Amino acid sequence: MKRMVCLILLTALLMPLFAQGGVEEKAVLDMSAPVTLTIWTHEDANRKVLEQELIAEFMEMNPNVTVDYQTYPSSKMRELLTVSFSANQGPDIFNQSQSVVRQFVIEGRVSALDPEWIGEASLDDVTGRYIPGALAAVEYDGDIHGLPLEYTNFCTYLNKNIFRDAGLDPEKDYPKTWEEVMEVSKKLVLREGEIITRRGYDFRYPSYTMQFLPMVEQLGGKLMSDDGKTAVVGDEAWLQFFTYMRDWGPEGYNLGGPTYLPPRKVFDNNNNEIAMSDSGLYQQGRMKKANPDFFNSDDWMVIPFPQFEDAVVETAGAIACHYYMVNGQIDTLNQMWAWKLVDFMLSHSADYLEQVNLVQPTYELFESDAFAALPFSDVFAADMKKGDLVYFAGNSSAVNDKLKGAVESAMLLGEDPATVLENFRKEIQILIDDE
Amino acid sequence: MFLRNNTPSDRVVNLLINSLLVLILLAMLMPIAFMVTASFMPANEIFTMPYRWIPKTFIFSNYFHAVAGNDESFIFIRNLINSLIVALSTAALSVVVSGLAGYGLSKFRFKGRNFIFLMLMGRMMIPFEAIMIPMYITAVRLGLQNTYPGLIMPFILNTFGLFQMRQYLMTFPDDILDAGRIDGLSEMGIFWKLVFKNSTPAIATAAILSFRGQWDNLLWPLLIAQKERMKTIPTYIIKFTEEKSSDEGAMMAVAVLASLPIIILFLTLSKYFLHGSTMYTASKE
Amino acid sequence: MKYIGIEKKKARWGYMFVAPAVLLFFMFSLYPMLNAFYNTFFNIKLLSLRAPKFVGLKNYIFVLNSPSFWNSMKATALFTLGAFIPLTIFSLIFGLIVTSRMRNQKAIQLLMYTPAVLSSVVAALIWMIIFDPRGIGNSIVNNILQTHGIDHRWLTDPVMLRVSTVTIYVWKYIGYFTIIFVTGIAKVPESTLEAATIAGASTMQTIRLIVLPLLKPTTLMVSIVTMLNCLKSFSTQYLFTQRGAPLEPLNVVTLNIYNTAMRDLNISRACVMSFLLFLVMMILTLSRMSSSERNVTEY
Repeated sequence: MKRMVCLILLTALLMPLFAQGGVEEKAVLDMSAPVTLTIWTHEDANRKVLEQELIAEFMEMNPNVTVDYQTYPSSKMRELLTVSFSANQGPDIFNQSQSVVRQFVIEGRVSALDPEWIGEASLDDVTGRYIPGALAAVEYDGDIHGLPLEYTNFCTYLNKNIFRDAGLDPEKDYPKTWEEVMEVSKKLVLREGEIITRRGYDFRYPSYTMQFLPMVEQLGGKLMSDDGKTAVVGDEAWLQFFTYMRDWGPEGYNLGGPTYLPPRKVFDNNNNEIAMSDSGLYQQGRMKKANPDFFNSDDWMVIPFPQFEDAVVETAGAIACHYYMVNGQIDTLNQMWAWKLVDFMLSHSADYLEQVNLVQPTYELFESDAFAALPFSDVFAADMKKGDLVYFAGNSSAVNDKLKGAVESAMLLGEDPATVLENFRKEIQILIDDE
Repeated sequence: MFLRNNTPSDRVVNLLINSLLVLILLAMLMPIAFMVTASFMPANEIFTMPYRWIPKTFIFSNYFHAVAGNDESFIFIRNLINSLIVALSTAALSVVVSGLAGYGLSKFRFKGRNFIFLMLMGRMMIPFEAIMIPMYITAVRLGLQNTYPGLIMPFILNTFGLFQMRQYLMTFPDDILDAGRIDGLSEMGIFWKLVFKNSTPAIATAAILSFRGQWDNLLWPLLIAQKERMKTIPTYIIKFTEEKSSDEGAMMAVAVLASLPIIILFLTLSKYFLHGSTMYTASKE
Repeated sequence: MKYIGIEKKKARWGYMFVAPAVLLFFMFSLYPMLNAFYNTFFNIKLLSLRAPKFVGLKNYIFVLNSPSFWNSMKATALFTLGAFIPLTIFSLIFGLIVTSRMRNQKAIQLLMYTPAVLSSVVAALIWMIIFDPRGIGNSIVNNILQTHGIDHRWLTDPVMLRVSTVTIYVWKYIGYFTIIFVTGIAKVPESTLEAATIAGASTMQTIRLIVLPLLKPTTLMVSIVTMLNCLKSFSTQYLFTQRGAPLEPLNVVTLNIYNTAMRDLNISRACVMSFLLFLVMMILTLSRMSSSERNVTEY
């Protein structure tokens, strides 16, 4: 008797292991059939409020659709998506940046857009909404696999008070070149012994391919040859860059480093901790919330991404783009509703801009008065024309980590730039050969 | 023990050891004191050099911020309850499983007994990161994502707890078991009424081990609990600390709040926490 | 019903009692492990929808030839040695000190144990702020050394990074192991100690000749468990690198496994590394056990 019970329990427990949920294809789409959609997105308190309102509106218009909206820490999103998709349990809708989405696009995990679903006659009409290059990371085999949620480039926020405090005139003395960034920072920095208590400028350390790679490109260097077979082109440029970074760090002039608090966070506090910090237009929303007095004052401004004095290519900071994508493994009806929802949310680009300071790369938005009315939006727009999408490929996260390692060897360990370059070349070559 | 306190030189030695001990304890408690004091400070005060151990003014808004979260959804409370549910039920189930297995492995002779024991112990050598993905796929096939069983089941089997129960039960007198059999108790009855009920210290220490493990667990809940309302405290902390608008003071407040339940538990059950260590010393067969 | 011998009946109950544990073991340990081992012979990429190809020992060859894997082995070995030796030695010394105190023994034990109850996430969070260049780590050390404004670069210098991770680990677990030794020492028979005193042995002699030999089994268990835990250590290193600390000195094998799977999506190579780590742990445990078995003092 007991053995029977055990056996039954065991079978009941193991049954689901073998029962695979099959995906049914529906020939005719039943537009009134009930649909539940899950959205996973990274945590952003302001955006969450807006999107939940939009979703409520959408659900009212389409009573058969229920939406489940979940937010996650942004650094964990990628892992969660990878694991859940590997178990064929990905969310119906999710957003990620250009470097992560590429893996999903290449592996065919995300849905290809049927333009009719969002009321467009052809894919060209969809592409036509956006400025050139904005969809690059989600285009594959002639299909579009995602729509852009935010398009961000970094310019430099500058605290005028600190400049004046150091006897500089912000309007005249603001740095235009990387060499000036270093010179000005030497004047602005305050230390207690070796420990920096006030920084002039400091980099945005996690964003290596976004912020550092363009610096190399200004000097004529490249991550890999055009045919994508040889790692690291333009040794001179790379050497100059690594030397610059070594001078920046504690082994050089000791102007900043990755273990100090992130510049963009302390900048808003206006606590005499940092004079210049790189961030996107969205930073203004954060500043407004964290420190409204400072935001409304005339004590800060935004300046363009610096160039090297001997730059051969004029490049601004690279542009990061977040896309909303639809799971390609759910049935067609759900895919359609998911795209409709994504399109509905994103069609409120003015709200995203005004409430969350997120810029969608549409012509409509760039030409709008709302965009022009934002402080320093012209600086961001001008730089955007000079920048490309951040390096995206299946291995872009690994490349970012290798570049981080290389910069750190030069900057923190004070290694010889030539050695750093050779190691970096080897590592990138391994990644390329592995593809 | 060891040290006598008779001669003046003995007293000097004693004094030295006492001051050394005070120094050690101060060093060990320093980070905790730092956490508590910093939780009442604004971020820039935490980074003043030298550090002021007593805040200029006590700021309680850090605590509000920590509990409310940046979106003021107060999901912290729900996450705290989840952590308690998960940790308590894992602890309860794991002592039953460990108790049964420990009893079986110590008091019954059967073929493959040693092999089973060694196999179960071999689990200590598997890093969780290595089997995380196959485990996740299994859990998903069982439909366990976003459920309490999903958070609990993989951790019911607690190798340390099991080992400890086995060690404890090896010294359990056989006479009592035989007396039970003569009285006509079933084997299950013997286990429940005689063995389990009389093993409180071992059970309590095993339960605490499981509780602590689950309270600390980060990677698994991160994967399996995808809905906000199913998340646990460690995942909340990671999310909170990463948001751009959280400052260091509020982070320390979250850290204090997350530590309070386990510290309260620790103080009330300190006897069993400290007892948990006997398993190593009773390891001779 | 057929007559079943009492021994057989008992054996059957034995199986019943271990069944739940074994079942859970199969589901959440053995199956994932076998699955991982099987994966090592294929080129499985996470996210890929293509059928995996059998590649034989190619993954093993790649991993064994990769500098990154050997760097990880080095990082793990350094961390394990760095944490395991001080933990074992200091917890033994602290254990002796605590037992030698007449008063407040319980309170001392409780205080020492407190760091061990904090969760690793909380511990990493506190220490990240302590190790900030402007944090109290620098100010306290500068105060003690009477230096001013020196940045000890806890989170950037490769040597200091190892020191920092080991510090956190030792801080967190030393109380736990101290108490294990306290319990072990308490088991030394009072009469033996008295006999030693009567025989005129000094304190140091008592410790060296009587207490330490009797603590051998405890020391063995502590060292094996610490060693295994150090080899598996992950969360501190993971949280540090997430906060921007250089990866190379912290890239322990478990972290490398995690990145290879989650960042590079190469689950097969991650499984190879797990398997190699498992082998190392097994060899170390077995050799540690057999080397000690030969000279355990019986009492």
